[in-house]
Amino acid sequence: MADKYLKKEALEKLIAAVSSSGGCFIAPTTDARQVVFKSVEKAADITHDYVLARNSYKEFVFPQTEVVATFAVRQHGIGLTGKEVAPKETVIFGARPCEAASLSSLRAVFTWDFIDEFYTKREDRTIVMTVACTTGDEACFCTTVGLSPESTAGSDVYLKETADNGYLVQAISEKGKAFVEKYAAVFEEQAGAKTKKLFMPEKIKGIDLAKITGRLKNTGHYDEPVWAELTRKCIGCGACTYVCPTCHCFDMVDEGTAYEGERRKNWDSCQYDSFTLHASGHNPRDTQFKRWRNRFMCKFSIYPDKFASKGCVGCGRCVRVCPVRLDITEVMEELSK
Amino acid sequence: MNSYGNTMPKSGSSSSYLPVPLLIERVARLTEKERLFKLSANGRAFTFDPGQFFMAGLPGYGEAPFSIASGSGKAAEADGSFELCIKAVGNLTNAIHRLKKGDTLWVRGPFGRGFDVNGSSPLRGMKGRDILFIAGGIGIVPMRGLIKTILGDRESFGALTLVYGFKDPEGILFAGEMEDWKASGMAALLTVDKPAPGLSPLKGWKGHVGVVTTVIPGLEINPSKTVAVIIGPPVMYRFAIKSLWDKNIARDDIYLSLERRMKCGVGKCGHCQIGGIYACQEGPVFKLSELKDMPDAL
Repeated sequence: MADKYLKKEALEKLIAAVSSSGGCFIAPTTDARQVVFKSVEKAADITHDYVLARNSYKEFVFPQTEVVATFAVRQHGIGLTGKEVAPKETVIFGARPCEAASLSSLRAVFTWDFIDEFYTKREDRTIVMTVACTTGDEACFCTTVGLSPESTAGSDVYLKETADNGYLVQAISEKGKAFVEKYAAVFEEQAGAKTKKLFMPEKIKGIDLAKITGRLKNTGHYDEPVWAELTRKCIGCGACTYVCPTCHCFDMVDEGTAYEGERRKNWDSCQYDSFTLHASGHNPRDTQFKRWRNRFMCKFSIYPDKFASKGCVGCGRCVRVCPVRLDITEVMEELSK
Repeated sequence: MNSYGNTMPKSGSSSSYLPVPLLIERVARLTEKERLFKLSANGRAFTFDPGQFFMAGLPGYGEAPFSIASGSGKAAEADGSFELCIKAVGNLTNAIHRLKKGDTLWVRGPFGRGFDVNGSSPLRGMKGRDILFIAGGIGIVPMRGLIKTILGDRESFGALTLVYGFKDPEGILFAGEMEDWKASGMAALLTVDKPAPGLSPLKGWKGHVGVVTTVIPGLEINPSKTVAVIIGPPVMYRFAIKSLWDKNIARDDIYLSLERRMKCGVGKCGHCQIGGIYACQEGPVFKLSELKDMPDAL
């Protein structure tokens, strides 16, 4: 499919077209002075001047809370009804190329053995419209983990901003091509508009992913003091896991009363001490550095080895959100030695 | 849409997160804290290996993993019913303890990799061997499933020895059944950590006193013929393994069942992760030789 062109003003038409066909349009918007992914109804609500939305768009594919069943006390005991997910077409506009790479990682977890249909059905209806970065900040490190603003992996539609206030549109996946065809009226033929220069974060010299993975393969690292030393200041708030586009851990909880309520899948975090706590009181990961080590291993050893996918996309959200400024790239540098 | 009242669904559930209601046929009070629930399969074909587990719960209280206390293979109940032994320790398990015969327990499963006594997985290889069962406390529950399965096919195995320990005589589980197991051709050595807790009616304890691992050195074991199985509280494993090494039993011949917190049971939620292993799917039963790349497993 030849490249297309999208005028910024035409976003209004695109939002209207998606909504009128029953879909949902998610874009970066400014809420309480923060740029976040949210459902938008008009183009004026979209924020264009941002590095990354503070939250990852994973919450629209893997919601923070998802009802899997409802229950209620009936005349003779309890009735429980499974909930089937019937998602709407969901367009994520303004994702960045780094985080676009994360859905294949989440999909790997949710389908490696049993299939989690709550995830797959949502992802199947999600269109990721990536806008390549023309700006960045010191937390960005996509180039260090093998991605860049030019990466199109995971994007359904890949957009580059043009000098004349529009976008150069490339349909990447089959889903993306079908999307561009479905909303063909919104897109124009490409007429040689000049694209803006992309922002390339500098590759962090001290980090070598192959070395990190190699070092994590040798289980001797468990006993090294580096974990406790580097992660001592972690307060276990779990913020990094909530903003991370590849973190997938969840809890299953009954909410409501004993008479009526829902069984839900709620986001959980491996950074909490109760995450692995047994009923007996024993806790296999009983100190914070073990939990931190677990998350780091998940990103740089478990995801790549078990699921052949990226555990870290270098979006830098965990670095930006950390209240004690514990920077994952510092640990990566140390583990690259 | 699957809607379940108190009757079993005719078709399978569409979601692996959706439990099915099973009728409680019998509740047996084993100790103050532990009760054995016999669940009717209601025509549903549950097949399982010993060592596998069910997620069992009550809507409104949640779910937790419970290992299967029943035997499989020739020892399986003809009507497909099976037993779960549940210890009252928290909100959910105390609620389950209030259930009576005729009430409903909601279960999903069976999940995980159990002891593959008859099959072809890496956990086969128990047939024809001497088996040493080492159980501590509530670890006797999954062990009971394995023992019953093996006793159901007694002639396929060599000498069988069970070493099992409890904190005190009041906490002893399946004491009555033990006599039947002995009669079926298994030696059993029982030990308690403390002979007399408070005003125990069993104050006159005459048996062995000491933790399970104190019994192992005195056993006569043929290391090349023996497979050892350890199930117990986390603190027991290191000591039990060491005493088995002293007996020259190879890593490949030591089987363990690991306890982990589990929420989904299907390898998604991350709670039971040990390194790159999801214990709920790739365990909870492991050979010791498989744990060498998982330093935080024990």
